[in-house]
Amino acid sequence: MSRFGRQTVVGTFLLLLASAGVVIAHRRWSEELPNYAYLSGWVLMAVMILLALYNMRKRLPFLSLGSSEAWLQIHVYAGFFTVILFLAHLKFRMPTGWFEGALAWLYILVTGSGIVGLFLSRVLPRRLATRGGEVIYEKIPALRNALRQEAETLVLAGGPQVIANFYTENLHDFFRRPKYFWPHLLDSRRPLNAIVTELDELRRYLNEAERTTLEKLADLVRRKDGLDYHHALQVTLKLWLFVHLPLTYSLMIFSVLHIIIVFAFSGGAR
Amino acid sequence: MSEQLPAPDFDSQNYQRPNQKWICGRATEGSPCRKGPDNKGRCGATAECAPVLEKKPGEEKGRWRCTRSGGACESGPLPDGSCGRPAVKCAPVPTLRTRRGQLTRAVIVATIALLLILLGGSWRGSFINPGPISTAHSGEKFASMHGTNSQSCAACHRAGDFGPSGLISAAWHAKPGPFSLTELAYARRGESTAIDTACQKCHPGHALHQPNVVQDVSCSYCHQEHRGPMAATTDTHCGICHADTEVMRAASVKGTRLPEDAFHTSITRDPNVFQASRPRSGFTNVIHRFSSDHPEFRLHADKRRDPNTLMFNHALHLTSDTIQKLPSGQKLDCVFCHQPEAAGVYFQRIRFEKHCQACHSLQFDPETPGLTLPHGNPEFVSAFLHSLPRQYADVAARSGITRPERQTEFAREKLQRLQARVVSGEDFEKRVFFSTATSGPERRVGSVNGATSSLYLGCAYCHDVTSGPHGNPVITKPLVFDRWLPRAQFNHAKHSAVTCGNCHQAEASHDTADIILPTKTSCVTCHSAAGGVSDSCATCHTYHRKL
Repeated sequence: MSRFGRQTVVGTFLLLLASAGVVIAHRRWSEELPNYAYLSGWVLMAVMILLALYNMRKRLPFLSLGSSEAWLQIHVYAGFFTVILFLAHLKFRMPTGWFEGALAWLYILVTGSGIVGLFLSRVLPRRLATRGGEVIYEKIPALRNALRQEAETLVLAGGPQVIANFYTENLHDFFRRPKYFWPHLLDSRRPLNAIVTELDELRRYLNEAERTTLEKLADLVRRKDGLDYHHALQVTLKLWLFVHLPLTYSLMIFSVLHIIIVFAFSGGAR
Repeated sequence: MSEQLPAPDFDSQNYQRPNQKWICGRATEGSPCRKGPDNKGRCGATAECAPVLEKKPGEEKGRWRCTRSGGACESGPLPDGSCGRPAVKCAPVPTLRTRRGQLTRAVIVATIALLLILLGGSWRGSFINPGPISTAHSGEKFASMHGTNSQSCAACHRAGDFGPSGLISAAWHAKPGPFSLTELAYARRGESTAIDTACQKCHPGHALHQPNVVQDVSCSYCHQEHRGPMAATTDTHCGICHADTEVMRAASVKGTRLPEDAFHTSITRDPNVFQASRPRSGFTNVIHRFSSDHPEFRLHADKRRDPNTLMFNHALHLTSDTIQKLPSGQKLDCVFCHQPEAAGVYFQRIRFEKHCQACHSLQFDPETPGLTLPHGNPEFVSAFLHSLPRQYADVAARSGITRPERQTEFAREKLQRLQARVVSGEDFEKRVFFSTATSGPERRVGSVNGATSSLYLGCAYCHDVTSGPHGNPVITKPLVFDRWLPRAQFNHAKHSAVTCGNCHQAEASHDTADIILPTKTSCVTCHSAAGGVSDSCATCHTYHRKL
């Protein structure tokens, strides 16, 4: 079994064990302990702080606080663990107040975005590895620009008029900016095939030399499509954090306020 | 495991580092400058070169030399030493990491601003309210009682009107406090909390259960607010004491030290409620559920008898063929006497005129149906008997005899016939009060001997009649109880689906002293998990005493 496989088995086992412990504790103490909600809330808060510390850990790479990989594993499994803690804290019913409802929704969004992020980070890198070489995200604009210049040089510098027209009408925008985000994300090659088909249709109007130019242009189109594919997948890999991270801070602010309100108004909360 | 090496074409001197905040605006063209933007996103490009001042020996001013890489430019440095070919600045682009940071900061600020607006405005109450409040504790009327608006939490919660610092202070000083984890973990169920003080502002006469309760239970333990309509209490609430052996033992010990009177309530003081004395140990059996370990009703367990002096045989009235039919022609049944109150919970009191007189008319002269003894006061009965001539004359007047001498003659004849049946007036009066005989003296008619019907079923037939100090008859006032189980409640209307005989074994009761209430076993038939009807404590009992 691979190291990752072993980690998954051990992590899942520990997660299930801890979750079972929470369920047993809930059944045993949710009615027995008058302050069960306070205690389960503190446990949930502690795990949420541990989760948030992962981001802090990334900001302090010079400190020897364990490997980032280990932190990520803890972050993932502790994140799943909060789901059962959250449900136990709510006694398995949705809150009815505005504030607590907003807090619950924030938790759902943060956890949901985290799960989506985990899914993406498990699936998309494999897909990236299967298509084209390694492309650094920050270099994509430069590479796209280079491809555009190469295509324009090829088409406009001595190429046949029909190819130039085709480029101006159909490929100018294609080379200018990232295209076909959703088809790439869904691993669809339909847009590329459509362009290649149109290029093939031009072939009959061209002589042998011009066909060579067309082949080169088709090759540039494929490379640009590969670049767009990397862009779409890499931007997705980065964008889910635009939801997960800001909402995490909102969630923490709401949680701290929740604790203040609960204790300020305590005496009736059970 | 060997360390992975960078790709051969990797520029280790010029690459995008993860912590970089801005990238050169020309990076998108594939030609970023080597200097790049600074941390604040300003383009670092200044000019094509940084001229150097060169002085030859003896020169004072010197000469600026262009240091452009790739060769000096044609125009050269300006006289002030600056480069004559300033670089065109780019517009640096924030990295995704920077954009994410900007968004995160914006969301943090927006969250704090939103919370400040919501907590500082008039929405605060409804915003932080964790759930709908019960009708009794909400609305304009409740708010006016507390001099607050209907959204205010301050009616019950001290922190309701606090500002941000007040809230933090209140949270910090809460008991148990936020970080008093041991206290939070070991708090006792039902322990009084700060909110109970607020409850008792409006419910001051709220007696908390029995005087031998070892420790009062928090109001909010049973009555949970912010969950919409207040939910009914459950056996779990009662069970914190009644299912706990130690608590019950302590309550029993405490009860023995208290005077008997401390346990009385308005119900147990009601003379029309059967008064079963409180057991020495109090009601401290450990009980989990009615259907399982609730003891038999004490009436039956102690084999109590009905102390009522009015003699009544349920079996005779319900089953005997000798009982005459009702004026409507129907057979006498339970409902004729036991008629429900308007609410249907309990029954109306039994009244002679309404429920007995139809059969027991108090007619003492068989020949004069219209003349009956008054009911209710033995002195009235004596006075009535001493005024019989006048009573017969009144009967004559009612029957249409108008002339006084004819009325007198009518009365005289009636009295003569009555006197023929009795030994003396004194004997007659004695028989009226004390006789229990249902038959008269033996007589012979032709060849047949037999008992005659009695002149009148005396008061003692039904009542306890004794002689007073002056020989006057004294009738013990009957006491028909309205309720037999003062510490429980019962709603007859809810039990209309079953017949009276299902629960009350009246047809088998021959003795007045029989208490024909159902036993626990009879109730458990339905009130149990098997029977499908609730057997919770609150079905029959209420926690709060009415003093």
